[in-house]
Order: sequence, then structure tokens, then C-alpha cells
Amino acid sequence: MQGFVDFIQGFLDLGATVILPVAIFLLGLFFGQKPGKAFRSGLTIGVAFVGIFLVIDLLVNNLGPAAQGMVERLGVNLNVLDVGWPATSSIAWASVVAPFIIPLGLIVNVVMLLTKTTKTMNVDIWNFWHYTFMAAMIYAVSGSIIQGLIGAVLFQIVALKVADWTAPMMSKFYDLPGVSIATGSTISYAPGIFLVRGLQKIPGVKDWNADPESIQKRFGVFGESIFIGLFLGAVIGALAGYGAGEVIEIGMAMAAVMVLMPRMVKILMEGLMPVSESARTWLNKRFGDRDIYIGLDAAVALGHPAVISTALILVPITVLMAVILPGNAVLPFGDLATIPFIVAFIVGAARGNIVHSVIVGTVMIAISLYVATDVAPIFTEMAQTANLDLPEGSVQVSSIDQGGNIVNWIIFKIFDLFN
Amino acid sequence: MKTVLVACGAGIATSTVVNNAIEELAKENNIKVDLKQIKISEVGAYADSADLLVTTAMTQKEYDFPVINARNFLTGIGMEDTKAQILEELKK
Repeated sequence: MQGFVDFIQGFLDLGATVILPVAIFLLGLFFGQKPGKAFRSGLTIGVAFVGIFLVIDLLVNNLGPAAQGMVERLGVNLNVLDVGWPATSSIAWASVVAPFIIPLGLIVNVVMLLTKTTKTMNVDIWNFWHYTFMAAMIYAVSGSIIQGLIGAVLFQIVALKVADWTAPMMSKFYDLPGVSIATGSTISYAPGIFLVRGLQKIPGVKDWNADPESIQKRFGVFGESIFIGLFLGAVIGALAGYGAGEVIEIGMAMAAVMVLMPRMVKILMEGLMPVSESARTWLNKRFGDRDIYIGLDAAVALGHPAVISTALILVPITVLMAVILPGNAVLPFGDLATIPFIVAFIVGAARGNIVHSVIVGTVMIAISLYVATDVAPIFTEMAQTANLDLPEGSVQVSSIDQGGNIVNWIIFKIFDLFN
Repeated sequence: MKTVLVACGAGIATSTVVNNAIEELAKENNIKVDLKQIKISEVGAYADSADLLVTTAMTQKEYDFPVINARNFLTGIGMEDTKAQILEELKK
């Protein structure tokens, strides 16, 4: 027995990036994949980690010193870099708790379906990374895998419950029959639904609206990550007092981060896909004929013109808020591309009213900035555990998406009390 | 060679599923395709060169090229119908 424990401990000590590939290999075999295919999936994930951490290095080593320079020159205290959800998901999957999450998440969902405590069969295995992050964060403060997993289960239960609750509203507005959205990035903003309802009762305010087409024309450039990267990088470089050459360099580097990061995470996704497809088939076979919702990625709602327009306007608002909100330390960057996921429920609740969606979105993102600021120390520690080298100095990392996730924060705070 | 845009919310997660499925579909049928995996908000920037848009997101805009919704690739239900639809467009 002791030998077995030593073996497991030795394996966990191998470093996070080895663990998930091995776990995916074993899961693949469990779902009846050929060893060669399962091995390829595992290896692909290992490769993806290498690529993602290269790009995160590029991000923090360029933006970190520039943010520092800006802090020193202007006194705006934005020394927490928003690394964005692609990097955040990688930090989560690189945690030692990660291998447990996919099987555990499936079991929890099946149990809840069998006990009729949820109507959502979440086939969106990729977004289990939100549960993984929850677990990794609690593990980071408690050192207990069990506590981490309990936290992940709590997060998943909230996600499924919110998915059930919002399904009728979402299916009506977005025309998504039989579908619910349990994506962690989106469910955190469900409280915005109440704000929208309140707002739409106020006389005068309830009649405000705007036309999505003209907004997309005017703000369209904020929808293209490559330009956001270039622009923000250059502006921050200029504010840090860089010379013209350096300003162009950092702008180029940040444009590169915005384009390369998704490409790298795509490799991670490719590695997870065979297991995710097997799990989906397995779930479909057992529960497919019941009257349930199929839980999908919030992406299925995001092409709606009102969502695109709302998110476009919120990009500059988010940057502005980060500067003027007292106490915020997050420098928005990576997750400026994630705002559509943040507003999916809000726009649905507002029935496409862009003005109302922008107002409520502004409030919710402001809360997220504070939450992301609050968890920055522990987030930074998790990133370092995942072998991410941060530049010397006082730069920290966090993200608006999961770092600023309100559900994640509440569950974390509860566990933090006991540790 | 047809240029096919594959779009989802972030151009990362769900579009990878569709992207790989179309890649395989094209290979099986010996068709060469140029696949561009993008965000749904970037479709406009690629509209000039595209022959087809396959998306897991929704879109209400009118384009000069056909648009196929690939939500079935995510649910795993009715995938074959969508594949047949895509194949028909690729063969045109």
C-alpha cells in the first residue's frame, strides 16, 4: 500500500504538465480508444502546454515591465495582468487536481440527471476547465485535493442549476430549442438578469435602445483581437514612457499574443476532443431519449447581432473602468476578447436591447474587475506552480473570465475561511 | 479550391470541433478546402474571399455565400445531415 502511495506521490511530483497527458491517455483507453490514438491525444496536450506557456511568457515579459513603467510614471495602479481565459484554462488543466475532474464531472452530472435534480446533460466537456480551476484554486490554499474536488462539484451544481433556470429564456431569444448553457464564463453573470429586469421597469429608461448594425460599423475594430492587441500594447508602451521604436515593438508583441494564444489553446482542445467526443456519445446513449436539455458552450448564442454590438461597446468601457475604478488593479487584456461570453445571458434577458445590456454589462464587469483583483495573489501563485516564470518585480496575473468569476469567488471565500 | 470560414464565439473551442470534422470530410471525399477558423465577429473581414460559412454560433446577417449552422456537431445529434449539407456545398 505504502509503495502505491509513494508511486502516486512520485507521479504527482513529476510536474503538472505530465499529469494531464497521462490522465487523458488512460481516459481514452477507458472509453475504448485504440492505444495509439489515446497516446496521441495525451501527447498533443503536452505539446499544447509547451506552446501556451511560451505565449504567456511573451505576454508577461513584454506587458509586465510596460505596466510597471506605467504605474511608476502615472500612478495608475494596474499591476495585475489579465492573461485571458485561454491562459487561465491552461493553468487550471496544469494543476494536479485536473485528472480527476473529467470523470468526476461526468459522475456528478449523471447522478443529478438520475435524481432529477437537473435537466441539463452537459456535453461541453471542454468547459469542465472552469470546475478544474475552482478545484485548483482551493487546492492552492488548502493543499487538499479532496477539498478542491468538493469545491469543483459545488461550482458544477451551480452551473447546472443556472443552466436549467436560464434555458427557457435562452431558447426563446436565441432560438435554441432543447439547449441550455452551462459555460462557467457565462453562468457567473446570471445575476445580471435581475438587473436587466429591474432596469426594464423604470419609466423612460425602458424605452432606450440602439441599432446593432450601426454599432457594428462604428466599433467593429474592437471585435478583431489582432487590432486590440496592437492598439493596447502601443498605448501602454507610450504611457510607460517608451520610445517610438519600443512602442511599435510592444504593440506588435501584443498583437502576436492575441493571435497566437487562441492557436495554442486550439491544440489543447484537439488533444481533449477525442475524450470529449467519447464522453458525449456515452452520455447520449444513456440519456439521449429523455426530455432534457443538452448543455452546450455559450458560443452557440454569440453570433447574435445584439451580443456582438454589446460586447464591442463594452471593450473600451472595460478599459476605461479599469483606469478609473478606485481599488481595481487589473489591467484588462486577454479577456477583452471574452466579453461576448460575459453578456450572453444579459442580452438574452434584455431581449436584445443593447442600451440595457451595456448598462448591466458595465456593472457586472466592474464587479468582475474587483473580484479578479482580489484573487490575484492566489492566481499568481497558481500560475507559478504551473511553471510560469513571472518577471521580477511586483507584477501579478489574474483574468476577468475565471479570475473575476463571481461564483468561483464566493465558493473560494467559503473554503478560504476554513483554511 | 473553396474557402470555408469556420466560426464560433472565440474561434477556439467549438470551431475546432467543426474544423476537424470538415477536414476529415474533405479528405474522405478527396476535396481540397481552405479552412479558416475565426471568431463570428470577424466574418466581415473575410467575407470577400469566402465560399461558405459554417458556424456553431448563430448569425442573422445576409451574406453572398451560403451559411450552414453546425450546432449538431456539438450535440452529436443529427450530425450526418449537417455533414451531407456541407459536402453538397463543397462539391458545387
